[in-house]
Amino acid sequence: MNTLQVLAIGLGLAGYYALVAVGFALIFATLRIFHIAHGTVFITGGYAFFLLHRVQGFGLILSGLLAIAAAALLGLAIDKAVYLPVLRRGGGLFSVFIASLGVSLIVEAGFLAYTKGVVSVARTDMLDILNAGPVAVRTLDLAVLAIVAVLYGLLYLWLHRTKVGLEVRGLTDNGSLAAVVGVNVDRTRTHIFLLASALAGIAGVLTAYDMGINPDSGSRTLFVAVVAVILGGLRNLLLGTLIGSVALGILTAYAGFFFPEWVTFGVFVTMILLILVRPQGLFG
Amino acid sequence: MEHLLYIGSLMCVWIIVSLAVNLVIGYAGMMAMGHAAYLGVGAYTAASLNIFLGVDYFSAMVIAALSGAVVAVLTLLPLLRLSGFYFALATLGLNFVFFDLFHNLAPRVEGSEGLHGLKLPALLTTADTRFMTTLVITAACILVATHLVGSPFGRLLRATRDRPEAVSAVGKNPTTCQVVVWGVSGALTGLAGALYAATLFYIDPTLFTLNASILMLVFVGVGGLASIAGSILGPVLLIAFTESLRFIGLPSQLLGPVQQGLYGALLIGLMIFRRQGLVGKHDFHE
Repeated sequence: MNTLQVLAIGLGLAGYYALVAVGFALIFATLRIFHIAHGTVFITGGYAFFLLHRVQGFGLILSGLLAIAAAALLGLAIDKAVYLPVLRRGGGLFSVFIASLGVSLIVEAGFLAYTKGVVSVARTDMLDILNAGPVAVRTLDLAVLAIVAVLYGLLYLWLHRTKVGLEVRGLTDNGSLAAVVGVNVDRTRTHIFLLASALAGIAGVLTAYDMGINPDSGSRTLFVAVVAVILGGLRNLLLGTLIGSVALGILTAYAGFFFPEWVTFGVFVTMILLILVRPQGLFG
Repeated sequence: MEHLLYIGSLMCVWIIVSLAVNLVIGYAGMMAMGHAAYLGVGAYTAASLNIFLGVDYFSAMVIAALSGAVVAVLTLLPLLRLSGFYFALATLGLNFVFFDLFHNLAPRVEGSEGLHGLKLPALLTTADTRFMTTLVITAACILVATHLVGSPFGRLLRATRDRPEAVSAVGKNPTTCQVVVWGVSGALTGLAGALYAATLFYIDPTLFTLNASILMLVFVGVGGLASIAGSILGPVLLIAFTESLRFIGLPSQLLGPVQQGLYGALLIGLMIFRRQGLVGKHDFHE
């Protein structure tokens, strides 16, 4: 185990963070909703995949797609059944945040009752390892990074080449103005929640396949992703979350290697310092 | 009977915590989401002083309250420049920071994850005297809190919450007001932590996580913001309800998840239907 190896592990982690963080950032930047329950969307994707693939024995691809769809629908359902009613009854964004906390408590409780807190790993075989000089790289990590690269490319095209993407960028700049000039906010909102939740679902499926998930993986991963988003800032959504996720991936990997007892401490002290020094993000 | 007295003591502890949290969230409008840290500081201070240095438990309680206040003010000072959302997020981060501190640095009794073996004075040894003592201390805390929010300072506090610029305009400093109430809140939470340790006989870091902070939010939210009665009603009703689940024979490994799910549902229901809680005089603004 050398320090270069730790870097490789950090980049692998960064891939998962990047997929969770970009959806969170998308929702926060456009709708100003602090979607804590995004973490439970992530583990729901993972558990759906675990149940379909490992327990029911469905194929890898089919289970993956169904799990991603389940995550996307859960995200949309949370918005329609919880956030919109809170907002419609005069609640502010803070009330939405507390309701979001409520959603994650419920979903996590469900998984806790089902799994008794045991880690669920969806794969049964060993992972392939490539040896590149002093560093052993898992092919899965390379695949994850490739998936992240493709998805970020598609997201870029979606944001900059489609009409919905234009509307999303409009919401980021000025929500009420966007509505005034005829952006169908409800429809755009549906797109945003489906897409962001599907991305979290993909991360959930990959994590469940790779290291497995337990009921509190969701909030743990989400908080790291939130710190990544704060680090990257919301000015340039894709680049910001990407840089933030890579930084957090490397930070947690090195912290985990040298001071395993202090990883959470490091992440949250970083967060508090960042909020204090540059709440708009390092690159905002 | 013993168990009922234990539940009664537990209710008292959480009433004090709810008062403390309601002072800052309800009356001062500061979104505190990290009070589990101060609860832990109080519990660990009292228990370590008592176990390792043999300090009398009542003196240890006073020191726990003081250390709760000091830690609360020290953690608040850097966060004062934040407002609204970012303030809440930073206090939320405190839970994780302090969990690692408790987990890695706090003393523990050989062979366990936490502290046990308190040397309690006669008034706290048996279940009934312990309940009576806790009840008296809780009543004193309720009196203090009632007096505080009814005093000119309480008025200033609500003004700081609603119109900080008006507070400045009449020559008062809203920031001083926030620091003072946060310190009082930290002291009450620290005291509650010491009583919590005496009630449970055993403390470890897992008692003082984000979950405890969420629990406080649920108690205060259900009871009602900016209301002393609400701070009493919230924990009493919810603890009575979840303990009755145990009585009707719910298997114990399901108790945790059911309780957690219930609290989640309560938070959602409150935010949609009744943001001021049962008897609150204010709601989660914004």
